[in-house]
Amino acid sequence: MIEVSGLNMTFGGNTRSGGSVEALRDVNLRIEDNEFLTVLGPSGCGKTTLLRAIGGLLTWNAGQIRIDGRPVTGPGPERAMVFQNVALLPWDTVLSNVAFGLELRGVARAERERKAMELIDLVGLSGFERRMPRELSGGMQQRVGLARALAVEPKVLLMDEPFGALDEQTRRILQEELIRIWERTRTTVVFVTHSMDEAVLLGDRIALITARPGTVDEIVHVPLPRPRARDIGSIERSVEFVAIRSRLWEKLREMQPDLRGPTKVARAS
Amino acid sequence: MTVAARGARAWANGWFRPPAVPAGALALLVGGLGWEALGWLWQVPFFPPLSAVLGRLVEMVGEGKILGNLAQSLSDLAVGFTISVVFGVTIGILMGAYSKVEAALGIYVNAFLTAPSLVFAPVFFSLFGLSRATIVAVIVMYSIFIIIVETTAAMRVAPQDLLEMGRSYCAPRSVMFRRIILPAATPLIMAGLRLGMGRAVKGMINGEMFIAVVGLGRIVMDAGRRFDAESVLAVLIVIVVVAMAAVKLVQLVDARLTSWLPSTARGA
Repeated sequence: MIEVSGLNMTFGGNTRSGGSVEALRDVNLRIEDNEFLTVLGPSGCGKTTLLRAIGGLLTWNAGQIRIDGRPVTGPGPERAMVFQNVALLPWDTVLSNVAFGLELRGVARAERERKAMELIDLVGLSGFERRMPRELSGGMQQRVGLARALAVEPKVLLMDEPFGALDEQTRRILQEELIRIWERTRTTVVFVTHSMDEAVLLGDRIALITARPGTVDEIVHVPLPRPRARDIGSIERSVEFVAIRSRLWEKLREMQPDLRGPTKVARAS
Repeated sequence: MTVAARGARAWANGWFRPPAVPAGALALLVGGLGWEALGWLWQVPFFPPLSAVLGRLVEMVGEGKILGNLAQSLSDLAVGFTISVVFGVTIGILMGAYSKVEAALGIYVNAFLTAPSLVFAPVFFSLFGLSRATIVAVIVMYSIFIIIVETTAAMRVAPQDLLEMGRSYCAPRSVMFRRIILPAATPLIMAGLRLGMGRAVKGMINGEMFIAVVGLGRIVMDAGRRFDAESVLAVLIVIVVVAMAAVKLVQLVDARLTSWLPSTARGA
């Protein structure tokens, strides 16, 4: 279980220019074991910041993050991240990239390659294990990123808009694959996205984050049944899906600074 | 439509292509012909035509003047450049990794990088005398600092997202260095070695000319004193070929080490 309590974060408060940005204000969030939580919000709302804080890659000003009761002070082996820009090592093969986390855990070469091959197979990249990242399409690269994270068998998978840079068709296929994989592994997932469809389709619950300073506006339960992998099309046409989606849009629309009308001018983010 | 216009159009459409001649070979041919022509036109004693220079070169090779001296020069170059690479890359890595080392050494490195390296030749001469050590020291002096500077800079080019990825997997400093920072630095380090190799060849010739008892440099000095321009230029051709071959060698190693780079990101 991940507990985020009273999290406050301000960037650049001590710089000479003096311009500090309050990224997060009093964020409280509880993520259950084996839950798929999507984090949705307008761009620049601090949802990625929140994820990186849970990942232990940032420090914050006040509040606490606990994973199974232990406070987060930095990155840990029970968490693995999937990055928006994938961050594959361009000088290593797919196999070696997928095995990177295991290499750091001190797993012997033969064993980590066997494990990596298993994961490469799981994400549908069999036959590409000796390729270099630049030889792969964006979607395939992100599959490698997912395999690398899953290879260390994390308790918590932190995904930072992993499909944000992909074209729509590739993104849909990867969403399906992720649902299929997740419904088999049931790892706890925190998945940041700016896509409403993605948030509903993937999540058990959706944490809606307000625009800067980011704070949890609402937690939306997604009553769509599982497994969802089999027929995403009919899920998307279902009454429940459409209802949640339009509700989310109403909320998000209010947060869009450029839709609030000409009198209120939002500060540039 | 005139024939010329049609020709121009065909050119623009791209279906008329000039016969495939490697641009480098063509440039050499044009340069060589230009040299030959100017040599005949000017008729000045210090600019003989290419054919005369090449003839002289063949003679000198026949007399055994070139190959023996070349072997001597190249072995000095190999020793000097190896020392530069080993120490230059090591010092560069230390300077890139530890800001205190950089603060301590940076000023010296930059001073020596910009100082004309030949002024140290008399110092080495007085230290090592008429030995190969003097030449090797001059070669090191010429080539090591650019390697240090490029390596230091190379240690900072690892992309932030890869460093963060490494951190998220709890990579200790040693792993970050070995698996992320150093591989990312390789292309720039190799660029430093290429530049260093060019400078090392210059150092070799200048050092030999200064001492003027060994190698190709001595032949140049001897010929220069006799106002024998053909011999000077003949040796110059040998030197340029040696330099280009040496740089090419570094490039081949570079291409092997950085084959992961997309071809668009690689310098020619």
